[in-house]
Amino acid sequence: MTEKVDREKIRRVISSVPLLSASATQLLQTTTDPDHDLQSIVRIVKTDATLTARVLKVVNSAAFGLINEITTLDRAISYLGERLIVGIAIGDCASQLFNKDLQGYEAEHGSLWRHDLRTAIASREVVTQTGADINPDLAFTAGLLHDIGKALISDYLSGTAAEIIAKISAEQTSDYLSAEEEMIGFDHTRAGHELALAWKLPATIAEVIRFHHTPAAAQPEYRSLVYAVHLGDNIAMMGGCGTGADSMHYRLDTEYSEYLHLDSNTLASILLAVNEEFNKLERSFAEAGDTH
Amino acid sequence: MGQIILGVGDYGASNRPGEEVKTFALGSCVSVILLDPKTRTVGMVHVALPEAAINKAKSLQKPGYFADTGIPALLNEMAKFGCQPKGKGMVVKLCGGANVMDTNDTFQIGKRNALSIKKVLWKYGMGAVAEDLGGNFSRTVTVSVDTGEILLSSPGRPNWKL
Repeated sequence: MTEKVDREKIRRVISSVPLLSASATQLLQTTTDPDHDLQSIVRIVKTDATLTARVLKVVNSAAFGLINEITTLDRAISYLGERLIVGIAIGDCASQLFNKDLQGYEAEHGSLWRHDLRTAIASREVVTQTGADINPDLAFTAGLLHDIGKALISDYLSGTAAEIIAKISAEQTSDYLSAEEEMIGFDHTRAGHELALAWKLPATIAEVIRFHHTPAAAQPEYRSLVYAVHLGDNIAMMGGCGTGADSMHYRLDTEYSEYLHLDSNTLASILLAVNEEFNKLERSFAEAGDTH
Repeated sequence: MGQIILGVGDYGASNRPGEEVKTFALGSCVSVILLDPKTRTVGMVHVALPEAAINKAKSLQKPGYFADTGIPALLNEMAKFGCQPKGKGMVVKLCGGANVMDTNDTFQIGKRNALSIKKVLWKYGMGAVAEDLGGNFSRTVTVSVDTGEILLSSPGRPNWKL
């Protein structure tokens, strides 16, 4: 019999994970504001020596193939773009969650980080290649954080994967999300949303975390972004980067077409671009000594 | 024991005893496996998309990405192992090509990959003797050079053979 989870239990789990650093929190808030400029990003990173060092390491990793070393933060940040700066900051302080072994999902080590990174890249590509009026960097950040709730509920799901898959195959339950709810009384989008509240993440990102499998239920003003990450998540799974046993066991909401204009050629081109970018970024993070 | 690990868009072959040819987590991608009984060579290509027309430049740089350039590239590679360059006498097996649940036409890349691969194979007069295609789960595929046996795995499911 699996242990049931409620809000209080999830909050206790959340209280045991480190908070986001001040600089990561500031970066998230600043980059969500449509009127921010690059200098405000530079100012935040400069206050954090560890983050500064990591940014310089990533930009000078062989994966980017720069001929001349970049030694100033201004140049590093304008070269990498704000999404990667936010990515490095979040990856660093939430590494305990991203790198947790998700036995509940029978996932390989590091697969949550890989899935999230791939979803981030795919969500951004969906935005840029469909020409949607969404900030592509915000889609990247939201994609990176969308599944963070899996790290909070995985332990409670231990030993349930085979049963869940059998139930989905027999159409006794709709998908992995509803199975999580049935098994332990809580799903990863709700768990992630609790973390978003505890970390005081911007409302847009909290909304993506909560509704990335049910985008139609998101607030209208955030819905197109939530759909973009919904597609990014599916594209990551199609590319072989799901989390674990749950991979591809979620439902596509085809109403995305109300918000994003995507034909099969564009999707093919997105899949290609995602694969290239993912290989490069995964390598650059690894070379920079990241534990991911 | 040696392993040849193929990423997305990679192809490779081996005739070395004890070796395995492997690819991880096929989602909508399809792995085309060619077994040549005569030379005891195993070949595999990890195809991501149906047609190279979507990006000609990429198909030159990495032909294995696409069904229509990946299969000829794999046959060329296997010819280096003494296999017949048009695939004569080879045994073909296919796996992968999963789709997300409630997919629409646009997202049926897995199905389109499989169809395109079969079309290309027909041109060579080849057809798959076994396939494990579709569904909504990812597959990791390992082929043994010694036995030609294909082992599939997917988290949360018992391993199975093709």
